Amino acid sequence: MDNNKILEMKALHFSYTEGDEILKGLDFVIDERSTAIIGQNGAGKTTFVKLLKGLLRPTSGSIHFEGNDIANMTVAQLAKHIGMVFQNPNDQIFKNRVIDEVMFGPLKIGMAESVAKQKADEALELVGLKDLAEKNPYDLGLSSRKLVAIASIIAMDTKVIIFDEPTIAQDYHGKELIKSVIRKLRFEGKTVITIIHDMDFVADTFERAIVFAKGNILLDGTTRDVFAKEDILKEAYLEQPNVTKLCQSLGYDEVFLTTEEFITYQKAKAK
Amino acid sequence: MKSISLYEEKGSILNKLAPESKILYIILALVLPAIVGSKMVSVVFIAISIGLLLFSKVLKKTIPILGVSGFVLLTVVIIQGLFRAGNVTPLLTLGPVIFYKEGLLFAFNIVVNVLNILLSFCVLILATKPSDMIENFVRKGFSPRFGYVFISVFQIIPQMTETMATITDAQRSRGMETEGNLLVRIKAFLPLISPVVMSSLINTKERALALEVRGFNAKNKKTFLNDEKKSSADKYIQITMILLLIAGIVWRVVGCLK
Ligand SMILES: Nc1ncnc2c1ncn2[C@@H]1O[C@H](COP(=O)(O)OP(=O)(O)OP(=O)(O)O)[C@@H](O)[C@H]1O
Ligand SMILES: [Mg+2]
Repeated sequence: MDNNKILEMKALHFSYTEGDEILKGLDFVIDERSTAIIGQNGAGKTTFVKLLKGLLRPTSGSIHFEGNDIANMTVAQLAKHIGMVFQNPNDQIFKNRVIDEVMFGPLKIGMAESVAKQKADEALELVGLKDLAEKNPYDLGLSSRKLVAIASIIAMDTKVIIFDEPTIAQDYHGKELIKSVIRKLRFEGKTVITIIHDMDFVADTFERAIVFAKGNILLDGTTRDVFAKEDILKEAYLEQPNVTKLCQSLGYDEVFLTTEEFITYQKAKAK
Repeated sequence: MKSISLYEEKGSILNKLAPESKILYIILALVLPAIVGSKMVSVVFIAISIGLLLFSKVLKKTIPILGVSGFVLLTVVIIQGLFRAGNVTPLLTLGPVIFYKEGLLFAFNIVVNVLNILLSFCVLILATKPSDMIENFVRKGFSPRFGYVFISVFQIIPQMTETMATITDAQRSRGMETEGNLLVRIKAFLPLISPVVMSSLINTKERALALEVRGFNAKNKKTFLNDEKKSSADKYIQITMILLLIAGIVWRVVGCLK
């Protein structure tokens, strides 16, 4: 099941202005594993996901969704299959009630009113905003507005969900909530792709990590394999998760991704 | 970020001059022909403007500006040349169409005036950074508040177009059609415009706070981040231009007295 080709990139090139190539020929497959895209500022991560959404079109090469070239689909058609939560919720929110905002996308992609309402309720429940459904989104704080934006994409019930920097402005509770949302979506069979700079979050949440550097893929593998490669990460100006760094400095050969992992290991050893 | 200003830094002489010199040049180019009362002076200024623009490597940028007005001017020439009341002396005959000297002369005057105005303004606009110009005004006693308002227009408009593009992307991503016939576009308008307005309001509030934190309303004498834009030639250029202006006035007054 993990080897389904959900999205396939073939020799994907992109440039905004001629001669300044941002993506330099990407060839890879995104399967059902939850995937984190990491990399230095300006590496081309946002550009890449905009290509997935059809908001930008490749200068050459192609992207295939479940076998079909997305060049033949409009942005509105793609929206039924691939959802994306933008970095800044203020770019999206315009309705006066949270519930209307969350129902907007589902209705736009042709869901019946009753189905849309049900999906919206479920999505709000998932992000813990059920009680705020009747509120005006502009009366909420930034972190809650971000959750509204996340709910309004989840409610669209797309196969693929992309998050651009979901943890910005979230405290510990918010981060844990987003972690659980991502795990739940994965469990429901959705493909979650996330652009993110928080390595501890990546280590804890994602099965696969892809490192972008200057328009190429520098590393691609399970989160554990990727975070084991300290030197290559440094080359891409990335850090390892804190626990990984700590345990490596302490001389452990194993790669630990989370504190829980390390504690379990220590406890087992002590016995 | 895309700029809405037509200015481009080319390191040219015009770039280096103080904005005031260029403003004075506009005044001179517009007022002197009127004082002297000769269209030839305008023609000379057109030639000077073209020369300056060419020398500063920005002549090409005047083409779109001239293109638009050129079309209007062409219709003026045709209509005045053919139909102006008082047309008596045929000058040019193209089949059944006759252009008259009087009408063409009148149209020529209009064309010269318009070109003179456009090109002299280009000398300023294409070679001056708006914020430099306004900073220099503020140095000369112009209110910093108004100065800020003018400068921020040049920052806020590109920022708003950028926000607009992001918002369009965000709503298209939710399945909204933004392209198509008028009805589709009108329906798309609300989801696009309300986040733009809201985020502008939020931005404005934050901008106000940021300004206040940095003492925008402080009563003390203000210093400037950038050096004053001027060169050693500026003084001489400005004096020369003022002298020319005075000379024009004197010439005219003397002419009248005779
Ligand atoms: N609209 C645009 N026009 C021209 N160049 C752009 C545009 N958007 C982004 N770029 C450039 O493309 C490059 C990649 O940008 P992108 O936003 O994809 O990076 P990113 O990996 O998402 O970075 P970050 O971590 O800062 O979000 C950058 O050098 C950026 O300056
Ligand atoms: Mg980005």
